[in-house]
Amino acid sequence: MPRNLKITLAILSIGVLIGLVSLRSLHRRIKGLQENPTSEEQVRRELLATTNSAPTDARIQARIFWAAGPDRIGPVQVAVALSPEPVKRAKQVLNELITHAPTADQRTLPTDAVVLGFYILPDGTAIADFSEALASEMPSGILSEQMAVDSIRGTLESNVPGLSRLKILIHGQEVETLAGHVDLTGFFDLNPPNAEAPSMPAGSTAGSSVKKQ
Amino acid sequence: MQAPEPSSPQQGQPATNVPPQQAVPPPGAPVQVAPQPPAHTGPVIVIDPAHGGTDSGARGQSGVIEKDMVLLVARIARYALEREGFRVVMTRNDDSNPSYDDRAAIANAYRDVIFISFHISSTGTPNTARAYFYKFSETPSNASPLSNKANSLPITPPKITSLLGWEEAQRPFTDASHHLADVLQTDLTLRFSGSPAASSGVAARGLRSVAGLAVAIELSNVAVSDRNQLVAMAEPVATAIVHSVTVARPTGGSPGNPGTR
Repeated sequence: MPRNLKITLAILSIGVLIGLVSLRSLHRRIKGLQENPTSEEQVRRELLATTNSAPTDARIQARIFWAAGPDRIGPVQVAVALSPEPVKRAKQVLNELITHAPTADQRTLPTDAVVLGFYILPDGTAIADFSEALASEMPSGILSEQMAVDSIRGTLESNVPGLSRLKILIHGQEVETLAGHVDLTGFFDLNPPNAEAPSMPAGSTAGSSVKKQ
Repeated sequence: MQAPEPSSPQQGQPATNVPPQQAVPPPGAPVQVAPQPPAHTGPVIVIDPAHGGTDSGARGQSGVIEKDMVLLVARIARYALEREGFRVVMTRNDDSNPSYDDRAAIANAYRDVIFISFHISSTGTPNTARAYFYKFSETPSNASPLSNKANSLPITPPKITSLLGWEEAQRPFTDASHHLADVLQTDLTLRFSGSPAASSGVAARGLRSVAGLAVAIELSNVAVSDRNQLVAMAEPVATAIVHSVTVARPTGGSPGNPGTR
């Protein structure tokens, strides 16, 4: 066999060997990505979750409104570390509403939804800014959308004092509807005067016991 | 905007929406005059099958698509109402998707109108039906929450002037729509056990710009295993609508000439 041919074959063999090794590791990485899909929403939530509660937040019984049947919502008492500061407290209870539904059937908001921001204006207007998943992954229908809005309203009314109305934004923007039905261009009344006042959780003021969630 | 002709034949209509053909009498037989439907002088009924086109609405695992099913239900309701002598207009009679404003404009072309929007939910107790009316917030919807004005002003309802804002067109009709929705819900509950006893007030976008009585009916739900379960609901729903419209508005009674533009 000529010397040149031997060298060419050796180089080709080394190339094939390197290709096989890298192909195997590439396959392993693709498999790993398939097993642990990490969406942008999940990364964002993980980042937000790390700042969701502080060591000074008191663990109290919050009233979170989840589905209590196929067509109604109801409060569930949940021990949550809540901040005395209203904006942070609102984010905490909304995060609890999204992520810790007791069962999948009780969920009213998509699990991928994230509270991107929450603001309270001096007149008591609350502005809740959610990620696109709230609209894009919401089951379409008047009933399901109204249950979603009512669960947000009920949870805020019961746990964050001093709010008068709610504006829901999707990724910082006003949108026409939540998922094709419920109108999001206006406000939703919170604590309307003719409604029964929601009972606030015990220790809603600055708590004495300090527990981290 | 030109409203569609209510009684013109449309392509692709199911057989259930076609009035029964008159039998051809044999030669020499006495000519029978078909009974004419009672002529109503009441409101024009605008039937709105929700969604359409690229907007499919809710989808069930068994293949039920809301936009198709509501069109079928709407056609059956139209036939039932026309049989009773009502003048009926549909916001769509094919796979188009008019905007909310276009749908409202069709209704607002008439001085005396009842707008009925059909939906099928993706959740809820199967074989139940719900009637909704538009519930406005106590606070004006056109005030930007981010503006300084909104921050400093107390929350007060907007003044209703003689000129009706398009975005608030439903506001003066809220009580009347609520009444119609309650009558309709009572009837639906009799026909579909498990349905709620009273109608619900919801900020349903499709009703907001209608300057007339406006209700939405949502059947439950697209998750049924057999689409015929939903088809079977159409006729009782149509009957409930006929009954409710007749009870709520037996002789028209609205300002202006009922049923005219």
